[in-house]
Amino acid sequence: MNQAESDNAAYHWGMVIDLDRCTGCGACVVACQAENNVPTVGETLCSQGREMQWIRIERYWEGQYPEVRARFIPLLCQHCDNAPCEPVCPVYASYHTSEGLNGQVYNRCVGTRYCANNCPFSARVFNFFEPEWPEPLNNQLSPDLTVRSKGVMEKCTFCIQRIRRGKEDAKLEGRPVRDEDIVPACAQTCAPGAIVFGNMADPESRAFRLARSKRRFRLLEDLGTEPSVIYLKGGGREDD
Amino acid sequence: MKNTRVVIFLAFVLLATAVTLLVFYNLGYIFYFPASSDDRSPAQPIAFSHRLHAGERGIHCEYCHRSARISSTAGVPDVALCRSCHMYIAADRPVIKDLSRYWIEGRPIPWVRVHRLPDFAFFPHRMHLNAGVYCDQCHGNVAAMDRVERVSGLNMGWCLDCHRRKSASIDCWTCHR
Repeated sequence: MNQAESDNAAYHWGMVIDLDRCTGCGACVVACQAENNVPTVGETLCSQGREMQWIRIERYWEGQYPEVRARFIPLLCQHCDNAPCEPVCPVYASYHTSEGLNGQVYNRCVGTRYCANNCPFSARVFNFFEPEWPEPLNNQLSPDLTVRSKGVMEKCTFCIQRIRRGKEDAKLEGRPVRDEDIVPACAQTCAPGAIVFGNMADPESRAFRLARSKRRFRLLEDLGTEPSVIYLKGGGREDD
Repeated sequence: MKNTRVVIFLAFVLLATAVTLLVFYNLGYIFYFPASSDDRSPAQPIAFSHRLHAGERGIHCEYCHRSARISSTAGVPDVALCRSCHMYIAADRPVIKDLSRYWIEGRPIPWVRVHRLPDFAFFPHRMHLNAGVYCDQCHGNVAAMDRVERVSGLNMGWCLDCHRRKSASIDCWTCHR
């Protein structure tokens, strides 16, 4: 899928995260873990930096004590249009969909971990060991997506199972996808409403309008990876 | 002389490697697809005849497989649905008495799965039915089978053939996620 083709597609999924609204509560992290069958790895592996989170909260301090303020950045896969993880995969497990998503096909992945090493956002996590689901955690596994096994790379999918469901529902009703059809788990649970997901190819969508804000910026923009996640920051009044 | 020995030794090593690899490859295959493709028509706990129900009596597939049009799964009917008819119809036959025992004991019938997809493949029944791909295109003429037999390969190439023919999506994330 080249750039011109994806520009003409009916859908280009994107996300807007308002950092002025984010309180750093971490509800999105928990919601993602529950929705996407993301395993918990335990204390030892966590201390070795092998914790598995598809979205994490980065914390920064602003100012000097006592005039100090914490700022948070929820960091997930940026679904770059020019993704560094894609060309390095030897088995095409990491690929670009026609809808601007950065796909990861678990059953193709052979676990070279090249993609994660090439990701400037460290958004990808690897199953170093067979994930365990002790009772009663196994009962809350979602049947809508794969339970990954050892040796497989995984990452945020923008809740592809919800995107599929939203598109299927819309198709059965014979209409295009609307804003409210697809809400990823992190956006659904965000109490201050900092996360907005939507179709960037639709000028009427809320995400599209928010993405035109003066407060917009994208992470590591100088790398030219063209992320689909747009952050808003700058304080003051919202200009939505 | 020495060269010949080396050649023989190397040939032996190559042969041994090939045999080992072949054995492990096949072992891996067997463990990867546990409900192996060999048994396409496994024995069922109750001798339910699709030929009788769907064929002779003409009961529509969706009368029992009720969620096919609205959900990803077609749905295997519960014992209550079987019983809603068989409380009155042929209630004295031995097979139906077997069926009633499940109801009395409050147990589900342990049907043996015939059409099994790998866990990383997702097949939404509702999208196919609503697109006009009906049951028989994948499941064959079930109305002529006493015991259901799998007639399709159910492998990815078989899916993709049809998806290409009908210009359906062949994006990986349509079925794998």
